[in-house]
Amino acid sequence: MMSWIVLALVLAGPAPLAAAPAVPVPSLRRLAQEPPPEQPTEEPKAEAEDGNGKEGTSPYLAVVGGEVHTVTDGVLPAATVLCKGDRILKVGAGVRVPEGARVIDATGMKVYPGLIAVRSSGIVSGRGESVRDEYDPFALNVDLGLAGGLTAVETGGAVAKLLRHSVEGALIGKPDWVTVSYSPSSPRARREWRARLEGARDFLRRQRSYEAAKAAGEEDISPPDPKSVNQQALRLLQRQATARFNADSAKDLLAVCELLEDFPMNAVIFGGREAWTLADRLGRTGARLVITPRAKRRPDPELSRPNGWSIENARILWEHGVEFAIVPGQAYITTGGIAGRDLLTLPMEVAFAIRGGLPEEAALRSITIDAARILGVEDRIGSIEPGKDADLIVCDGDLFDYRTFVQWAVVAGDIAYDKQMAPYFAHIRPRPEPSAGEVIDAVIEGIRDQQDEAAEDGGDGGSNRAGDGS
Amino acid sequence: MPAAAALLLLAAPLCPPQDEAPEPPAGRPLIFRVDRIETLAGEPIENGFLQVRDGVIEKIGDVLVVPEGAVVHDLRGDGSTILPPLVLARAGFLIHSTRGGGRNGRFRAIDSLWLEEGELHDLLAEGILIVAIDPPGDGIPGRTSVLATDVEGHRPEALVEDLHLRLRMEGGLRGAKDLMRKAIADAEKAIEKEKEARAAWEKARAEWEARQKAEAEQKKQQEQKQGQEQGSGGRSEPSARGRGSAQEPPPGQDGGRNGGKEEEQEPPKEFQPPKIDPNLVPVVEWLRRERVAWVSFDKPAAVLHWLDLLGDRDPAWSAILGGGSRFSRFAGNFMEVRDALAAAGVRVLLPAVLPNLPYTRIPTHPAAELDQAGVEIVLLPPRGDLEGVRSFRLALADLVREGLDRRIALEAVTLRPAAALGQEEIVRPLEVGAPANFIVFDGDVLDPTAEVQYVLHDGRVVFDRSLEEEEE
Repeated sequence: MMSWIVLALVLAGPAPLAAAPAVPVPSLRRLAQEPPPEQPTEEPKAEAEDGNGKEGTSPYLAVVGGEVHTVTDGVLPAATVLCKGDRILKVGAGVRVPEGARVIDATGMKVYPGLIAVRSSGIVSGRGESVRDEYDPFALNVDLGLAGGLTAVETGGAVAKLLRHSVEGALIGKPDWVTVSYSPSSPRARREWRARLEGARDFLRRQRSYEAAKAAGEEDISPPDPKSVNQQALRLLQRQATARFNADSAKDLLAVCELLEDFPMNAVIFGGREAWTLADRLGRTGARLVITPRAKRRPDPELSRPNGWSIENARILWEHGVEFAIVPGQAYITTGGIAGRDLLTLPMEVAFAIRGGLPEEAALRSITIDAARILGVEDRIGSIEPGKDADLIVCDGDLFDYRTFVQWAVVAGDIAYDKQMAPYFAHIRPRPEPSAGEVIDAVIEGIRDQQDEAAEDGGDGGSNRAGDGS
Repeated sequence: MPAAAALLLLAAPLCPPQDEAPEPPAGRPLIFRVDRIETLAGEPIENGFLQVRDGVIEKIGDVLVVPEGAVVHDLRGDGSTILPPLVLARAGFLIHSTRGGGRNGRFRAIDSLWLEEGELHDLLAEGILIVAIDPPGDGIPGRTSVLATDVEGHRPEALVEDLHLRLRMEGGLRGAKDLMRKAIADAEKAIEKEKEARAAWEKARAEWEARQKAEAEQKKQQEQKQGQEQGSGGRSEPSARGRGSAQEPPPGQDGGRNGGKEEEQEPPKEFQPPKIDPNLVPVVEWLRRERVAWVSFDKPAAVLHWLDLLGDRDPAWSAILGGGSRFSRFAGNFMEVRDALAAAGVRVLLPAVLPNLPYTRIPTHPAAELDQAGVEIVLLPPRGDLEGVRSFRLALADLVREGLDRRIALEAVTLRPAAALGQEEIVRPLEVGAPANFIVFDGDVLDPTAEVQYVLHDGRVVFDRSLEEEEE
């Protein structure tokens, strides 16, 4: 049998099998090369154009045949995500794959947007603007983050993309957060913040009446002096910045709710362990939360009201319209196990929210689009939509199943992680190798293709593929 | 005479090696017979000889006719080899002083040199004839210098005192990048300033010259006019008056003009460029492509940040992989930037090691991979100290055993580093007419138990192990 395979391989010569210098694991399947039922508006060409592909590499990357969880547009079975350069070009079942495109065969797999951690440390070095100059795409934790499905993380006030082969474009945003220390345990800090916000509100009122008077033709009036106002408070009230609170207990959360009711502003609350006890009130304030479903808070039996942590926290918040992102208890990566409580296994933390009744759709949102919204980068990442950044992951099972591994992570249109090529998990349930029959079929098909191309006096053909098999 | 030569030819293999007289009197040939000559000019010569006379290679081949009066060293039998001398492209360990980071472009490595007794001789004993020294310090530490190892003294004369601009993209990426970015920006500003100054000077000069020309023209016309007047008027007196009138008013005019000119002042005949901070001068020269920069990187990300920093600029630079004095055991991920380095088309200097992928025991072969990607590699010892130099050939043998082409490996420690240091006239392929610079091993070059027996520089035996042993 083997000799036949060898013979077939010899006969095939430079068949598509050998035509994959960029990705050492060539696909053995024919993928979506049939005439398209739907023509792309833009006629794709085989040669490298712009985009971030290396010279001679097609700017197109197609993830073909997977169950695509777009997040914002439902689930598409056996669909193709076609990326061009660093953006998603098309998503759908009938998308034609341009000749020469790099192809990931996701048949039988699930495709999700890249996951987003709204808090991280130790994955990307640098804070804020300095991420641009300090980003290390070859850092171990970047690779491990990708292995865990992350494609973007918040780090020290910046949002960084986990690029693997370049440093350009690593910094994609800087959430404008103003940390507001507002806890009942610190009456002074509360008083100060209230005073600042009141001052800012007064200023805005005076500003409005000044403008109205000026519009009415009054002349001997002077504008209010902005110097006397706390600028952070002003930006918060004008919704130019977002207030960042840390509040876990119902008491703290209630205080935050009261503040937000008095001074409506954009807010994100980290913690929220007892948020389920006042979900309706939180929902009315429009505040977003960053929660950890497994974070515990011992209930106080002395209290008559509901209190303590609940596995149903996320579900209750969801039902009351509170938007939230989920982070694990440790916002960094350790190699101390594959199902730990850190960013190596972010979906595992989310799985506990699902266990508490959160719908899977909402669970996925909490680590994709809703997380992106909290970070202010929802126009670029968080869902699989044409025009958005080509950041996605291909999983060999349901994202929230403990057995599931990320098989590929694509960041900015570049295959940043391939489980079979990385040294971490390749040996655990390796990607199935093609059977001898499949090899022969592929070789024969390759020969036929070559003959067809020769008959047509065609071009170079040969896709660079990353597919199943090794 | 031919009979005598034939007799000598027959007799030569029977003669014992005449080690007692390594250097023959002037004009007499010196012959080495070895098992293999790695000429690096073509195929190696097996069972060959190399004849030196008056500092050059007179003959090289496998059929020897021993000329009269020749001194013959016959080392055949144990796999002895002749090779062009080794070149050490980077040696920080010869510098014993320290300096901090920052922009220190004005320093030359040679100025920090104060050699311990016998330090260069130790290198010579390893077959290294040329060594480049690094200025101490981080950031932009200065310029490299090049030494021959057959010189003496604590502060010997250099072959080249001021060669490459040394840059270190090491440590914190942001700090290093900031330093380089500012240096490049300042250098570009200095270049721009000079360009503007030159344009202003050229303009002033052109205007001044035009004025001079116009004045000369005017003067000429006046003279012509006067000449005409003279021609039409009387002969004796008017001519004297005419001369007087022609001479007198112009001095007044000239005087006035000259006075004006004195106020204006003649622009200098030669352009005087504005002064540049001496720490910035080599950076300016580098950006003008008058100098090569040797940039070292301690991690692959630094290479990408460096390329990001360069942007569209295209000054000449070479990459040194591995920061500090040694390569990390886990620096295998340098291969992630293999294609970027190949695309940049730069020479890459790297230690002769097989580092693992980070946090794994998966070995990589950066030298072979870079070579396959079309990069010109120059190999450095596995460690940046004398011990590293001593294990250089063992490390080289490892690389060759694991797949690096032997010829490439040998060139990467001889001809290529020599060319990188501008010393290609000293370390050349072994051919007739080339200067007699080579080393003789008593075994194969890649056999770590083989030792350097002789080192020749311009036909002089500058190292002779038998003499060393005698001394001991």
